[in-house]
Amino acid sequence: MKRPIYHLYIIMRKDLTEFYRVRARLVSMILLPILLMLLFGYMFPSNGTITHIPIAVVNQDQSTATLSMINSFIYMAQYGGSFNVITYSSVSQAEQALLQGKVYAVVIFRQGLGQELSTGKATVQVIVDQMNPTLDQIVTAGIQQIFSQLNVQLNMNQGFPSSLGTISVNFQGLIPGAPSSFEFLAPGFIAMSVVMGGLAGLAMAFSRERELGTMDGILMTPVSRFSIVMGKAMAQAVRGIISGIIIVILSILLFGVKIYGNVFLMALILFLGILAFTGLGIIATSFVSDQESAQMIMLMLEMPMIFISGIFYPVLQLPWWLRNIAYMFPLVYTVTGFRSVMVMNAPFYAVWNDVVVLLIYSVVTFAIAIPLFQRMVTK
Amino acid sequence: MSYAVEAENLTKYFGNLIAVDGVTFKVRKGEIFGLVGPNGAGKSTLIRMICTVLRPSAGRAYVEGYDIMKQSQEVRKLIGVVQEKLILYAPLTPVENLEFFGKLYGIEPKVLKERVKELLEEVKLIAVKDKPVGTFSTGMRQRVNIARALLHDPKLVILDEPTNGLDPQSVRWVRDYILNMKNKGLTVILTSHDMYEIDELSDTVAIMDKGKILEIGKKEDLKAKYKANKIEDVFLELTGRGLRDEISGRLRRRGW
Repeated sequence: MKRPIYHLYIIMRKDLTEFYRVRARLVSMILLPILLMLLFGYMFPSNGTITHIPIAVVNQDQSTATLSMINSFIYMAQYGGSFNVITYSSVSQAEQALLQGKVYAVVIFRQGLGQELSTGKATVQVIVDQMNPTLDQIVTAGIQQIFSQLNVQLNMNQGFPSSLGTISVNFQGLIPGAPSSFEFLAPGFIAMSVVMGGLAGLAMAFSRERELGTMDGILMTPVSRFSIVMGKAMAQAVRGIISGIIIVILSILLFGVKIYGNVFLMALILFLGILAFTGLGIIATSFVSDQESAQMIMLMLEMPMIFISGIFYPVLQLPWWLRNIAYMFPLVYTVTGFRSVMVMNAPFYAVWNDVVVLLIYSVVTFAIAIPLFQRMVTK
Repeated sequence: MSYAVEAENLTKYFGNLIAVDGVTFKVRKGEIFGLVGPNGAGKSTLIRMICTVLRPSAGRAYVEGYDIMKQSQEVRKLIGVVQEKLILYAPLTPVENLEFFGKLYGIEPKVLKERVKELLEEVKLIAVKDKPVGTFSTGMRQRVNIARALLHDPKLVILDEPTNGLDPQSVRWVRDYILNMKNKGLTVILTSHDMYEIDELSDTVAIMDKGKILEIGKKEDLKAKYKANKIEDVFLELTGRGLRDEISGRLRRRGW
């Protein structure tokens, strides 16, 4: 019994010594838990919930009663910092803002509302984002609460003509039916799996070839460094798209997920997302020569990004500085764009900003990655 | 032009460590040039510079008249390299491996197909051309590796310890093949720790140590100069008989 334990100890010590000797692995091991701990700490603050959620208000009725109601609504919504109200002149403009993620709900005060109120009962229409169940619930509850308070005020005639009735709120989404929570989480999972899969493959693609010596074989041929880097990146992108297709099919068959948008636009966003990540990955791993260190660095890049990019929780839940960090990485644009198209049938004009950011990200990271790769392999 | 390679004051630094220290030498066309030295002497770094994989810190070198720094693409077309590490993809078959590299060299698909077949016949692997290289013995893989280096009809073939780890039959085959390359008019740079191999195959021998070329000359001239029967004796005379404690540059910089 003593001997196997001694051997176990010897093997464990060798493994740890080996690990300790490679600085990149060591640094990643220490930094990763610190990063994750900080992220979770700030994502779930002990002192409250999401505030200053942007919502749109559209007024189609110019009656005095409606104008008074809107003023009260805006005051209550912004008082205490729950919502930031942005007024739009038309429903289509507000819906576009909703698709683009600029606002999370649209409150429509329809034409004739004032008259309806005077007859006893009026209905206000609210279109909610539906992109994230957590945020959806917060927004719905918040708006419902404001209208309940407004009803109390109406009943007590506070600032309203005494003849006014009550307001009911009709909540609806941009997509028909009552989609399940998973339908909203699924696009995030799909985008994450595809992009992260590509990134992990990339770490292997470069470090493995360098370790095996086959990279030398390629470098000795009359091929430009651009072709080498882009060839490898494209291989990852194709792999990513294939795995994306498989995941989407499984989500549809097993979990009843529906695709409401254009599949080509979805594929384009995924493709650009993978490319942007690949460029970033090449930069990050060009400083290490072995596979394990490359994988550790990738993990350090991936793990925090998964939690701050709006896959599981709304980006709004993050403190402002962490939100800004999230917007510095491509995953948040990939997830937002992909989800908008898949779940909300967002057209190109609604996600063009995500597409452009991913495109710029890809170009910039590759513009850095290619000369960096050249320098690292020939230095 | 009578020289396949001309190097002038070629130098390579890794941080503060000097791996190749102002090396000057010439390799005649059509000869087998043996490059020997203890571990860490700088042979592989020198070869990687000539192959255009590493950028020299100083000095110049020309392959068939082409500057390795300014005309690296031309140089790559002229060199075939067999490294100690096999430059092959284990899951791919010999045909797939060769076709992949052939395409990178820009060989026309039709010509490439013929060339691959011809080479696989030459290295006696045509029967297993559709099996993954990963299932091959080390000797078989080295033969595919040699075929890969010759795909694009190079003028200069660099073999970095090509017989390392091979069984005696494979070693004999590789050595005969190297002589065959010379007979076909190719220039060969050969590095090896096997002094018998260098003695048997080389026309000219360069002995390197600590980044410098200590001696260079015709094999017979060197033996005569050092009154030695074998190149091994010349080598030991110049580099010493004591055991070496060479540490790679990277570790040395870390202060281990």
